[in-house]
Amino acid sequence: MSWSWFHKLGSPKWFFQWSKKWAPPVFCLGVLGIVVGTAWGLAFAPKDYLQGNVFRIIYLHVPSAILAESCYLSLGIAGFVFLVWQMKMAPIFIKAMAPIGAVMAAIALFSGSIWGKPTWGTWWVWDARLTSVLVLFMLYMGIIAIQNALDDRVLADKAAAVICVVGVINLPIIKYSVVWWNTLHQPATFSFMKKPDMPEVMWMPLLICVVSFYLFVAGLVIWRMQTEILRREHRASWLKTEVVGDGI
Amino acid sequence: MTYFSYFKAECLVLFRRKQNLVNALLFFALVIVLFPLGVDPSKAFLAPAAGGIIWCAAALATVISLESMFKEDYADGSLEQLLVSGLSISWLVLLKVLVHWLGMIIPLLLLTPIFSEMLFLPDGVLGVLMTTLLLGTPGLFLIGSIGASLTVSLRQGALLMLLLILPFYFPIIIFSTSAIQAVASGLPYSGLLAIIGAISLLALVMSPLMTPICLKASVR
Amino acid sequence: MQSNISLTISDLWIERGDRDLCKGFSLTATSGDIIHILGDNGAGKSSLFKTLFGLVSPVEGEVQLNGEDVLSYRDPLLKQSLYISHALGLKSVFTVLENIRWYFPKVSEADIARVLSLLKIEGYLDVPIKALSAGQTRRVALARLWLSDLPVWFLDEPFSALDMVSIQLLEGRIREHAEQGGIVFFTSHQPVTLLSPRRVELTA
Ligand SMILES: Nc1ncnc2c1ncn2[C@@H]1O[C@H](COP(=O)(O)OP(=O)(O)OP(=O)(O)O)[C@@H](O)[C@H]1O
Ligand SMILES: [Mg+2]
Repeated sequence: MSWSWFHKLGSPKWFFQWSKKWAPPVFCLGVLGIVVGTAWGLAFAPKDYLQGNVFRIIYLHVPSAILAESCYLSLGIAGFVFLVWQMKMAPIFIKAMAPIGAVMAAIALFSGSIWGKPTWGTWWVWDARLTSVLVLFMLYMGIIAIQNALDDRVLADKAAAVICVVGVINLPIIKYSVVWWNTLHQPATFSFMKKPDMPEVMWMPLLICVVSFYLFVAGLVIWRMQTEILRREHRASWLKTEVVGDGI
Repeated sequence: MTYFSYFKAECLVLFRRKQNLVNALLFFALVIVLFPLGVDPSKAFLAPAAGGIIWCAAALATVISLESMFKEDYADGSLEQLLVSGLSISWLVLLKVLVHWLGMIIPLLLLTPIFSEMLFLPDGVLGVLMTTLLLGTPGLFLIGSIGASLTVSLRQGALLMLLLILPFYFPIIIFSTSAIQAVASGLPYSGLLAIIGAISLLALVMSPLMTPICLKASVR
Repeated sequence: MQSNISLTISDLWIERGDRDLCKGFSLTATSGDIIHILGDNGAGKSSLFKTLFGLVSPVEGEVQLNGEDVLSYRDPLLKQSLYISHALGLKSVFTVLENIRWYFPKVSEADIARVLSLLKIEGYLDVPIKALSAGQTRRVALARLWLSDLPVWFLDEPFSALDMVSIQLLEGRIREHAEQGGIVFFTSHQPVTLLSPRRVELTA
C-alpha cells in the first residue's frame, strides 16, 4: 500500500487545494440529505403506535448522538496522529472539529430531553445514554477551554492532542461505568420504543439522516480547517498565490 | 542529579510546603461538612451517602492539591533543568506523583475513620472504603498529573484543571461508591475492587507517557 | 574528561511565533573552543540553546555530537552537557547547601565547601535561596561549573548581576575548562576581558 496519501494529507497546501474542490459538494449533499431525510421522517413516515408523533425527534436525536461520539473518536485519532507523527494537519483538524462535536452533543442532549418529557414525564432522567452524552459534552468543553486558555499555539496544540487521546482511551471506561452505575440506581423501569425492528419506512429516513449528518459535518469541518490554515500559514507563499488566484 | 536525589528533594519540598497539604486536607473536610449542612444531617440520608461524600471530597481535594504540582518548578527553572538532566522525565514524574500521593494518602486514611463516624457510615464498611481509597487514589493522582502538566504555564489553572480532569475521575468514583454500597447491602464487591485497580494501572501507563509531552511543550 | 568532542550545527532554522530567528545557521565546535554568541535582545540566543536541548523544535537543520545526530535522539547531548539558563533552576524553598546537594548528591562536603568559599558564599550555606541577592543567587547556580565534570557547557548570560571579581573568577574557570578539553558556549552583552573567544553573531 502506498503511504503517499498520508503524507499528502499532512501538507496544508495539498489539503487546501483538495478541499476547495470537495468541501462544497460534500456540504451541499449533506444539507440536501438532511432536508430529504427529515422531511420524509416528519411528514411521511407513519406514527409510532406507542409514542405517537413524539418519536419523530429521533430523526434529529439519533444522528446527532451518533455524530457526537464519532467526532470524539476522530479527535482522538487526530490527537494520536499528531503526537506520534507530528502531522501538521492534525491540530488544525482538532481545532476545527471540537466545537462541532460540542454542538452535536448539545443537540443530542436537548433533543433527548425534549423527547424525554412526553415519554418519561420529565425533562431529564439519569439515563445511561443521556448521562454519557453529558459527560461527552463536558469533555468537548474541556478541549475547547484548554485551546483558548493557552496563548502559545504549539503548546495549545500539544495540550489539546493529549487531552483528546486521554479522552478517547477513557471514554469506553466512562461509558461502561455510567451504564453500570445506571443499572445499579435505575432498574430498567422505562422501556421505550424498543420494538425490535422498525418498519422500513421509519428507519430508511433515519439512515438518510445519519449519513447526511456525517456529510454535513465533514463539509463543515473541511471549511473550518481551510479557515484555520489561512490563519496559520499566512506567511507561506503558496497561500498568497492561492488567495490572489481566487481574486480575493 | 540522580533519581534518588530528586526523590529526596521532592520529599523535602513537600515537607517545606506542608501548608499546601494541610490546606488540601482542610478543603477535604470542608466539602464533607457541606453535605450535612447543605442537604440533610439525618442519619437516614448520611449513612447510605457517606462513602460517596468522602470519595467526592477526596477527588476534589486531589485536583486542588495537584494543580500546583509543577508550578513552582516551572517558575524557578528547575523543571527546565529536569528536562535537560538526561534523566528519564517519565520516571521523574512518577517519583513526584509518588511523593505527592504518599503525602496525601496517609493523612487521608487517618481522617477517613473520623469522618465516616461523623457521617454514620454503616458498620463493617469502613474497611472497604479504605481499600477503595488505597486502590483508587493512585489513579486520581496519575490522571491529575496530566492535568497539572497541561495547565502548568497558566497563572490561574485550578478551574480549568477541574474542568479537564474531573470527567476522568467519574469511573473511579462510580466504582468505588458502588463497591461501598455493595458491601453495605451484602453483595460481592471484589470484582469492583479489581476494576478500580485496573483503572489505576491504566493511569500508571498513561501518565508517564502524556505528562512529559505537556511538560516539554510548556517549557519554552 | 573526554578530550576530543565535536559539536556540529548545520543549517539550523529556528522560528518562534511567526519570526525567523536564524536560518541556515552553521557552527562547528571542538574540544578547547570557547564560543561567544552575540546578538541583539530577542535575536534568538536563548532560543538557540533551547533548540539544542529540545525545548524548542527547529524547522529544519542538523546537530551532531561526535558525528551522531542528537536532534532526534537527545540523550547523548544531555548526558554530556551542562546548561545554565536565565532561570537558574534553584528551588526557592531550599537553602544554598540543599540546592547544591540536589544537583550533586555524590560530591563530598569538602569539595562543596571549597567551591563555596571560592565564590565567597561560604557564610550562607544554611540561608534560603530567596534571602540572597541577585548576584549571590547567580553565584550559587554557577557553583555547578566547579563541581560538575560535564564537558560541554551552555551558559546563557552567566555574567549578568555578577561583580568584577566574580566575573574574572568565572572567566578564569571557563578558560581552565577549555584548556582541559571542554567546549563552552556562552552569551553575553558585555565584552569579556580575560578570554579571547570565537565570536558568532546571530542574525535573522
Ligand atoms: N516563550 C516564548 N514564546 C514565544 N516567543 C518567544 C518566547 N520566548 C522568546 N520568544 C521570542 O523569540 C525571540 C528570541 O528570544 P530569545 O529569548 O531567544 O532572545 P535572546 O537573544 O536570548 O535575547 P536576550 O538578549 O534578551 O536574552 C524573541 O523575539 C521573542 O519574542
Ligand atoms: Mg536570552
